[in-house]
Amino acid sequence: MSIARFSPFELLLLKSRSQVDTATLLLLAWVLVHRQHVSEGQRRRRLAQVTAQFRHGHELGPVMSIARSQDLQAIQLAAEVVRKECGTERSLSVIHQAITVATDDGELSLANHYILRFLADLLSIAPMTLNTLFKELTGTPLAIPEDPSRDAYWQAHDPDYHARKAREAEAAEQYHQQANARAEQQQQQKERRHQQKQQKQQEKQQRQEQARQAREQEQQRQRDQTRQQEQERQQQQQQREQAERERRRSRDHSSQQRSRQQDSRRQQRASPPPPDRTTRALSVLGLTPGATRVEVRHAYRRMAQLHHPDRFYSESEQQVALASARFQRIKNAYDYLMQTY
Amino acid sequence: MRDLYQRLAVSPEANEQEISQAVASCQHSALRQDAEAVFAVAERRETYDTLHDTVSDIGRLRARLGLSHGAHWQGDVANDFSLPPDHAISRHDELVDRVSHAVSLYNRWRRWRGPWLLIAVFAAGAGIGIALGLALCLGLLPM
Repeated sequence: MSIARFSPFELLLLKSRSQVDTATLLLLAWVLVHRQHVSEGQRRRRLAQVTAQFRHGHELGPVMSIARSQDLQAIQLAAEVVRKECGTERSLSVIHQAITVATDDGELSLANHYILRFLADLLSIAPMTLNTLFKELTGTPLAIPEDPSRDAYWQAHDPDYHARKAREAEAAEQYHQQANARAEQQQQQKERRHQQKQQKQQEKQQRQEQARQAREQEQQRQRDQTRQQEQERQQQQQQREQAERERRRSRDHSSQQRSRQQDSRRQQRASPPPPDRTTRALSVLGLTPGATRVEVRHAYRRMAQLHHPDRFYSESEQQVALASARFQRIKNAYDYLMQTY
Repeated sequence: MRDLYQRLAVSPEANEQEISQAVASCQHSALRQDAEAVFAVAERRETYDTLHDTVSDIGRLRARLGLSHGAHWQGDVANDFSLPPDHAISRHDELVDRVSHAVSLYNRWRRWRGPWLLIAVFAAGAGIGIALGLALCLGLLPM
């Protein structure tokens, strides 16, 4: 039969003069290990201070190292020993020591929140008792532990994070903007070069055009001179012709006048009126294009009876005004149609 | 304090990629926001992990000591970190057993006058060795 080796804490417990004291020592060391912002030497001194009256009779070093290694089996053993051996008074003194060790002047760390509550449960101390004890010792009530698994905790405890992030984002943006500005400058330079090229090209073209225009102008001048000469010739001819015509007119003046009047009448009938206006006038009278003169007259009479302002005399003045406007429109259309048809 | 790993169904040793996948596939929007806040930054995850280790240790201790329904163990913590009681026997009982076992062994050893027994065994072994050596030297044994 082989038995497993005894663990360091078991040996310590077996060697100890008082097992309860050793177990309590380990639990207090466990609480101290979870205190933040405390050096190792401070922890050991504090533990020695608190447990000055303990009768364990061994060094504190091994206990601290066991607590630091978070040896769960050792802590379980210590808890069992403490639970088995502690009466009511002793358990109260143990929790008292645990609270003082956990919150000397600083705040209770999150882990110690849970450890203290575990010890209270272990020593069967009611929440009320724990709260009053805690308040007596520290002056502040035992708060509900904060919850780092929530977003709100981090917004409260890590406010720099967002500022830092914002700063980083700004820096990135600035870098981006600078890069953009550089790119824009390069583009502008490119465009300038391009524009300069274009200007040069345009100047060239202009010069070429000017040369062309000069040539054309010279050609035109030559043409104009020839034209003027021709015109002068034509004018001379026309003058001669006019003189001849005047002689003829003076001969048969009376006969021409009659013929002219007849011509004008024919022209009036022959030239068709604009078709748009006719159709509009016809539609005012409720007729389709191609209606005869008789139809137009009948339609006009009917519409005039319908829309005569006198019919609306008994009704409001506005109705009368509207009717007169309609009647006027109808009459205009009829007049126009009578002229054209 | 909730167990985000348990709620996201990932192991606490999962790397960032697995966790970000689990967070992205989480259906509960509030939980997703919290998980993003905790796991997006490495320092926050470290802080959370240390506390997570401590609290899960306490959960295991409570399960072994029968304190899973204590007055100070309620709410989210109790929901997420309570473990079913395992069959590990009390460490103190185990210690007592081992000590008594060791004591009985020691007693037996003392009762049988251990040192003398040891000398007798050594002498017998030496005698057998010498006899075998002599037999080899005289060629009595067939080689």
